[in-house]
Amino acid sequence: MSGLNAFQLLNGLTFAALLFIVASGFTLIFGLLRIVNLAHGALYLLGGYAAYATASASGSFLAGMLAAMLAVAVMGLVLDQGLLRFVRGHELRQVLLTLGVGLVLNDMMLVVFGGDTYTVPAPEFLRGALRFAGMFYPKYRLFVLVLGIVIFILLWLLLNRTRLGALIRAGVDDPETIEAMGINIRRIFLLTFMLGAALAGLGGAVGGAFLTLYPSADAEILVFSLAVVIIGGRGSLVGAAVGALMVGMLNTVGQVMFPEFAYFVIFGPMAAILAFRPLGLFGRTA
Amino acid sequence: MLEVADIHSFYGEAHVLQGASLTVGKSEVVALLGRNGMGKTTLIRSVMGVSPPNVRSGQVTFKGEAILGLAPHLIAKRGVGYVPQGRRLFPSLTVTEHLTVLKPAAATHGWTVAKAFEFFPRLGERRYHRGNQLSGGERQMLAVARALMIDPELILMDEPSEGLAPVMVQHLEGIIAELKAAGLSILLVEQNLYSALAVADRVYILETGRVVHEASAAAIGADPETLTQFLGVH
Repeated sequence: MSGLNAFQLLNGLTFAALLFIVASGFTLIFGLLRIVNLAHGALYLLGGYAAYATASASGSFLAGMLAAMLAVAVMGLVLDQGLLRFVRGHELRQVLLTLGVGLVLNDMMLVVFGGDTYTVPAPEFLRGALRFAGMFYPKYRLFVLVLGIVIFILLWLLLNRTRLGALIRAGVDDPETIEAMGINIRRIFLLTFMLGAALAGLGGAVGGAFLTLYPSADAEILVFSLAVVIIGGRGSLVGAAVGALMVGMLNTVGQVMFPEFAYFVIFGPMAAILAFRPLGLFGRTA
Repeated sequence: MLEVADIHSFYGEAHVLQGASLTVGKSEVVALLGRNGMGKTTLIRSVMGVSPPNVRSGQVTFKGEAILGLAPHLIAKRGVGYVPQGRRLFPSLTVTEHLTVLKPAAATHGWTVAKAFEFFPRLGERRYHRGNQLSGGERQMLAVARALMIDPELILMDEPSEGLAPVMVQHLEGIIAELKAAGLSILLVEQNLYSALAVADRVYILETGRVVHEASAAAIGADPETLTQFLGVH
């Protein structure tokens, strides 16, 4: 394990936490709506820019996070009701549509924010490093790790302990049947889509403070999110957590130990998992 | 209660229902019989508004109001319960969640979780199990209990006896009789002729998408010629 130390393991863990926040939204949308939302990366970046603009203007990182979630949830509403509504049930058209929306959003953000790199300003108390176990580690990254765990717990409670969560799970299992039982599944779909989009926005706000924001950041996070969801299994929260851990750690290990094969270290195991479990580690047939 | 008039339903270009008509009265159990592929499930799905099939013409009225073309959840809201073919339980929901997902646990009117568990004690014992951890009979009980949670006036049951042991089929017949006694109307699709005749008031026989015979259950039970001709029973 030459070159791999606790510092880098923590880097892997905190990156995994960010990936989880973004990918949990992705897997919610993928699992329930059966949409591979290729605009998810653009939603992440949009959230990042919204957080940057709000946090810079107001001086509040919390306001930036909330603005990112709100702005991207509204974008999700527009995307679902304005466009996706017309191509329901046509998977290929949905994928192409979201890809196009992602490209358009990306270009519009380039027009508004230019090609410069931005960093969402983290609040004062999260700057600097924390000293523990004989090393210094950035406080902000630890905050991301804690936030990832908190989001996991909140989503788990939502999905497993609330009626809305049971409706979402029933919709993932069998949308036709739950609708025939008197549930307006379209409304549940829309709520879920907005929640998934808000999580992408939150990811953008949080990621924008340590990965920085730049015009192609959306494609990078999208590729990682896809890997997380494919490894974890469509629509599975635990799958997204495990997938995020695997991709986060493999990414760090790959960069440290096999820098020339960094992508292979992630996508090689992903291909191997798919060969034996085509639905991912926690995926189920519909 | 329910009137289906001259409906034509298609799967793609396949003309499955070719002008089928039937009625179900208040507190009446009506069985829809016919060989495989004659359109029984298609008719149930057409009434429920589930797509496919596409219903291209005809009328469906429930309590005097046209319901054809409404979304399934609106049809359900008007009081049509649905027990789909193959149960279609939700694998990731517990027994209790199958019920509370349709009506909050705190509800006190009509069918409640407590009342459902009283009616199906076996489900109460298994309340924390998931849909896919139940036996075939328990699954069917749960599918019926789930349909009851919307307080329906009519229940569409698509082959409820399919895959059940004879003792469970008998149990199911008892449940259908109790629901009828409680005032519910039931439209029942059945492969199991004797089970259908045991519970139904009237029977329709469907052949290549049309109703070719209608009779009281008693009359058709005593009519071996018709049974042989349309159902292949000897």
